Amino acid sequence: MSDATLSTAPTATEAQFRFNTAETIKHVVLILGAMIVLLPFYVMVSYSLKAPAELMQNTGGFFGSQRPFLDDRCMLLGGTEATCMINPTVYNYTSAYREAPLLRYLLNGVIVTMSIFLIQVIVALPCAYALAKLRFWGREAVFGLVLFCLLIPIHAIALPLYILLAQLGLTNSYAALIIPWTISVFGIFLMRQFFMTVPDDLIDAARMDGMSEYGIVWNVMLPTAIPALMAFAIFSIVAHWNDYFWPRIVITGDRSLFTPPLGLREFRGDADGSNFGPMMASAVIIVTPLIVAFLLMQRRFIEGITLSGMK
Amino acid sequence: MFGATFRSVAVVVPFSVALGLGAALLIHSLGRFGNLYTTIYFLPVMAALIAMAIVWEFALLPTVGLVNCLLEAFCGTSPELWRWHAAGCAEGFPLWLSDRDYAIWTVAFIGVWQGFGFNMVLYLAGLTSIPRALYHAAEMDGATSGWERFRLVTWPMLGPTTVFVVTITIIRSFRVFDTVEAFYPQGGGPGKSVYVMMFAIYEKAIQQNLMGIGAAITVVFLGFVMVLTLIQRWLVERRTHYV
Repeated sequence: MSDATLSTAPTATEAQFRFNTAETIKHVVLILGAMIVLLPFYVMVSYSLKAPAELMQNTGGFFGSQRPFLDDRCMLLGGTEATCMINPTVYNYTSAYREAPLLRYLLNGVIVTMSIFLIQVIVALPCAYALAKLRFWGREAVFGLVLFCLLIPIHAIALPLYILLAQLGLTNSYAALIIPWTISVFGIFLMRQFFMTVPDDLIDAARMDGMSEYGIVWNVMLPTAIPALMAFAIFSIVAHWNDYFWPRIVITGDRSLFTPPLGLREFRGDADGSNFGPMMASAVIIVTPLIVAFLLMQRRFIEGITLSGMK
Repeated sequence: MFGATFRSVAVVVPFSVALGLGAALLIHSLGRFGNLYTTIYFLPVMAALIAMAIVWEFALLPTVGLVNCLLEAFCGTSPELWRWHAAGCAEGFPLWLSDRDYAIWTVAFIGVWQGFGFNMVLYLAGLTSIPRALYHAAEMDGATSGWERFRLVTWPMLGPTTVFVVTITIIRSFRVFDTVEAFYPQGGGPGKSVYVMMFAIYEKAIQQNLMGIGAAITVVFLGFVMVLTLIQRWLVERRTHYV
C-alpha cells in the first residue's frame, strides 16, 4: 500500500520522505506486536536465569544479578554455607533435571513422535500408492472414506478410542500414546495427491524391470516423495511433540511414560513458590528443540505447519 | 459450558483472523525485515502451548507478574481516554486469571496470541498469489488509494483464503483445552466461567468416569464441526472465484 502515497506525491524528495514515514509507522506497529508476542518468551528465559529471591521481588532485569545464593535444600542435607552457594542459572537448570526425570520425558517425547511418524509413513505410502496408481474395485469408495475421515477432528473420537484402549488394558503404555495416531488419513491424502503427479511411465518402467509392487513403493515412489514427506514429517512431529490432550487422557500415573508436556504439567502441580526458576528452566528445555529446528529451517516449517490447515 | 466456549470462540475468531490479515498485509508491503516479523509471529504456533500457558500464568500473576508490573510502570502517563488504566492505577490492576470477570477473556487472549501467526502465514501465501497486474489495472481504473485497492482487489482475491482461515480458526478455538487445564486443573476457573467444552469432556468422562455425559458433549461438539464444514463447503462452491 506504500506505493500509493508514492504515486500521488508531488516531488521526489517529498515522496521519499513520505514513503519513509509510512514505512516507519508500519515498523512501529509490527515491533509493538512483536513485543507482545515475545513477552512470554522473555518471561520464560528471564525467570529461568534468576534466583528465587529476585523472582519474588521482581528485581534484577532480564539476566538477574547472577550472584550466587544460598541453596536451602543443600543446607538441609548438611552442607556448609561455603559449599552451598550456587549460581542461580546453574541451580535452575540442574534442579530441572534433578527434581523431575526430565531426560526421561524428553526421551519419551522422541520415542513417541518418531514411532508415530515412522508408522504413519509405513502405512500411508503403500496406501497412497494404491489409491493413486492401482486400479481396483472400490477405489473411489475408499478414497471417499479417506476424505470423510479428514473432516473428523481427533477430539471427537478421543472417548471411543480411550474406551477401546482401556478395555484392551493398554492405557499407561507407549502403545496408547502411539497406536491412535498411526493411521494418518491426512498423510494418506497428502501422499496420494503427490503420487498423482508422478508419471505412470516411471512405474511401468519399474514393472518391466521386474520390481514388485512393494519394491516400487519404497524404491521408486519414496525417493520422488521426499519433499512432501519432509513437510508431513514436520507437521506430524510438531503436532505430537506439543500434544497435551491425548497423553493427558491415556497416561494417568506412570511418570516414566510422561511426554514432555505432561512432565512439565506435573512439575507445575508440585511447584511451591520457590520452584518457579527450575520450572521455567524445564519449560525452556522442552520448547527449545522445536524452536531451534524452526529457526534453522523456517521455510520448510511454515510449509509443513500450514499443511495442517488442509485438515 | 456453552457460555464459556462461545465467549472464547467469539473473541478468538475475529481477533486472530483480523490480526493475521493485518500482520500479513503489513509484512507483505514491507521491503525489508518481513521475514524477521514472520518468524517472530510464528513462534507461538511452534511452542508447546502447555509450556507457554504456564509462562503466561506467571506473567499474569497479580503483584509480581510482568504484565501488571508493566501496566504499573506506565501509571501517571495514561491518556485521559483510557479510564480503565487510570482506574487500575488507583485501585490495583485486575487479578486476570483468578478474577471471574477477566478469566475467560484472558484465556481467549492467549488463544489469539497463539493462533494469529498461523492465520498470518496462510494470508501471506494468499497475498503472494495475487497477480501484480490486477493492481495496475485497478490503478488505471482510478483506484488510487490504498484502501480502494484493498477493497477492490486484495479482499476479493483473498476470499477463498478467508473462508478457509475462518473455518479452521473456529474449529481450533472450539478445541481450547491446554490453557484451561493448565490454569484450572479443578473445576473450570472462578465461578466455572472458563468451563469450556473440551475441558468438560475431559472432566466428565476421564476424571469422573461419566462416559455418557462426556459422549453427549462430544456429539454436540461434532455437530458444530460438521455444520461448520458444511457451511464452508457451501461458501466455497457458491462463491465466484477470481483465481
